[in-house]
Amino acid sequence: MTAIAVPARRRRTRSLPATPRYVAGRLGQAVLALFGVTTIVFFALRLSGDPARLLVPEGATAADIERVREQLGLSDSLWHQYLSFLGNAVRGDLGYSYVQNRPATALIAERLPYTANLAVAALILSVVFGVVIGVITALKRGRWQERVLMPIVLVGQAMPAFWTGLLLVLVFSVALRWLPSTGYDGPLSLLLPAVTLASLSAAAIARVTRGAVLEQLSQDYVRTARAKGASTTRLVLRHLARNSAIPVLTVAALELANLLGGAVVTEVIFAWPGIGQLTIQSVSARDFPVVQAIVLFASAVYIVINLLTDLLYGVIDRRVATGGNGGAA
Amino acid sequence: MNRRRFRAALLLATALALGAASCGIQPASAGRGPGTIMIDTANYPSTLDPGKQYDTDTYSVYRNIFDQLLRRNPKTNAVVPWLATKWRQTDPRTWHFTMRPGVTFSDGSPLTAEDAAYSISRILDKKFGSQQYANFSVIDKATAAGGDLVVHTSVPSPTLLSYLTTLSVVPKAYVQRVGDKQFAVKPIGSGPFVLQSATAGSEVVLTANPKWWGPPTQIRTAVFRAVPNVASRVADLQSRKVDLATTLTPDAADQIRRDPTLAILSTPTERVAYLAYNTIKGGATNDPRVRKAIAEAIDYDALIKNLQRGYAKPINSMATPLAFGYDKSLPDNHHDPENAKRLLQEAHAVGAKLVMATSPSFDPQVVQAIQGDLAAVGLQVEIQNSDQATYLKKVQDPSHEWGSIRFGKWSCSCLDSDGVIYPLFHTGEIWSSYSNPDFDKIVEQARETIDPAQRTKLYSQAFELLNRDLPGIGLFQAYAVYGANSRLQWTPDASESLFLDQMKVS
Repeated sequence: MTAIAVPARRRRTRSLPATPRYVAGRLGQAVLALFGVTTIVFFALRLSGDPARLLVPEGATAADIERVREQLGLSDSLWHQYLSFLGNAVRGDLGYSYVQNRPATALIAERLPYTANLAVAALILSVVFGVVIGVITALKRGRWQERVLMPIVLVGQAMPAFWTGLLLVLVFSVALRWLPSTGYDGPLSLLLPAVTLASLSAAAIARVTRGAVLEQLSQDYVRTARAKGASTTRLVLRHLARNSAIPVLTVAALELANLLGGAVVTEVIFAWPGIGQLTIQSVSARDFPVVQAIVLFASAVYIVINLLTDLLYGVIDRRVATGGNGGAA
Repeated sequence: MNRRRFRAALLLATALALGAASCGIQPASAGRGPGTIMIDTANYPSTLDPGKQYDTDTYSVYRNIFDQLLRRNPKTNAVVPWLATKWRQTDPRTWHFTMRPGVTFSDGSPLTAEDAAYSISRILDKKFGSQQYANFSVIDKATAAGGDLVVHTSVPSPTLLSYLTTLSVVPKAYVQRVGDKQFAVKPIGSGPFVLQSATAGSEVVLTANPKWWGPPTQIRTAVFRAVPNVASRVADLQSRKVDLATTLTPDAADQIRRDPTLAILSTPTERVAYLAYNTIKGGATNDPRVRKAIAEAIDYDALIKNLQRGYAKPINSMATPLAFGYDKSLPDNHHDPENAKRLLQEAHAVGAKLVMATSPSFDPQVVQAIQGDLAAVGLQVEIQNSDQATYLKKVQDPSHEWGSIRFGKWSCSCLDSDGVIYPLFHTGEIWSSYSNPDFDKIVEQARETIDPAQRTKLYSQAFELLNRDLPGIGLFQAYAVYGANSRLQWTPDASESLFLDQMKVS
């Protein structure tokens, strides 16, 4: 997990105007991180295989391959390629796909709505199920509710997506014929892939929620609230929810960032035309410009979501934003 | 939280999740009416410009939008007229093709020899960067003269007609007007179908071209869907989502066979599963006796019956009976582990270590079966699995330092021995880790000999040399395996084409 909650504490002595400076600092770090990531990916990709060999017909000669390399600009020196990549990237040009001969950014833009829809749907499902299960298992610790729900959560997390996905397809598409097996044919098509993804994320969220609520339950204010006769519902909604929110938000944000980067396995199983499928196709074809663009995009998403999460802490818990003492962060 | 609230939360989550689906993306295809076919392929076409890419899933789609200069008879595989109605050679290197009159592109403009010549020149143009260049590189230039297409080759080429069956003719004026990039997105052809819509990475919808010159097609709409996972393609067939699924594995075929409403359509193709040896820097495999021992250690019947589930045929060389130059007089492969052991002893190679290079693109079960067969006669095989790009870089490197044996599957889409044994075994070719000047001379001569009888004789000599030196072994002839439901009437062909004008759906 990344260091998300810490900076606010470090700036304990500063007051609110520190926030813009904090955001600027984080953005500076973000640019540096993006530069580092793309540089590593640029060189690592070129060490591992030659796209020209994958593009030519089987009977091609060495000269045919060289011809394709030249046409793709791969026969220039590595430094030359790197500098021209950086130069173009700064101008917003991430190059053309070797395979599809279209701008890498256009390919990502086409796939993004699919991945975004899937990610948001999966996140909603996993937050709702995860939080509800987490709260119940914490409140009913040691009771039958916990003994029933925890194994389900663990199974959800332990089953790999390719297995969960295929099981769901076998039951709901092949046997019952209720839901489409693959592709996008309307909102119902979203259900199976979203549940597949949510089964992984919900488990993580449920466990973190459970831990956070258990921690809160041991606090004095809970005992006081109970002593004053607060009902369980009131206790959960008024007190525990806000105070347990920060760790849950952290996990949910990380899950969202992961999901937006493309859920590779789930997208392949459900023939979902999102970023995940594009990633796997581009990596196996060594479609360098597309892989570089995806990595850049996924890193940017990660950084932006982390930054937004940091800022959200302040909304949830004013002590974080004002740099006040203590707090759940 | 009480039960009612819990239930409400679940409902809300589902509703929100489904609601999220409505923003930004459109359902690509509606339900299936009569005359509509839904087809699952493994990949989304890499382009719709027929000058660029040539892979099977890309071909499957765009070859319905465009007409080819020539086609093959799906039953006999003979080259037959299509856009060119007849052809003649005026000298060993010059071919004249008479174009079919009255053919128009779907925008109404006439298709002429000029368009055909442009379609070839475009692939030959270095700046265009066609990945099909290698298939047409024997052509010097293509021009239009007196209504004919005239093709000049650099040397006499007996395989020219084969490769011209893969040439789709594009409209010169339209391509030049809109540019290559726009053409790949909005292609216009003269073929039996026109592009209706394409959803990137997901599906391509074609509808029948009312202006097509051929007999009206029974199929009115075809939806090609990209479903990369084979188990998902099977599920699509089982749930009646699609009518046809391509590129099925033998296991998947077994599953489909158990469903009485589905059928397996399969046919032997020109694809050869083979084992190639490193005869230059392969260690133990530099010795022809070791290569012979390996050939005799392999249980070919088990590969075909158990692993391929019968979707393969035994062969006697690197070529299938479909290829020109195939020599049926050669003896079939045979399994003789005792003789293999004897040969290894003779070569002092008992217990030798062999590196087998492979990639996930090649059936891992076959690779492991070969490893087992070789262990049984006393050879230790270390499988080195790397992804396809890395694998190609390794085995195609001129240093020949890639190991001792490798498994592969080969198809030149040309139904000719030249397209198999020349690139695989001619000295200096990227796939070849073998060198024999006699063999080189024979295959060089054969690829420039027009007379079929003489060519056949040359290939017999070439195969005889290969059977003696064993730089590789043909393991079996692979089948194309499709799954279909009972709506579809179609017979697949050896070239793995997916021509919609040859299909019918009820």
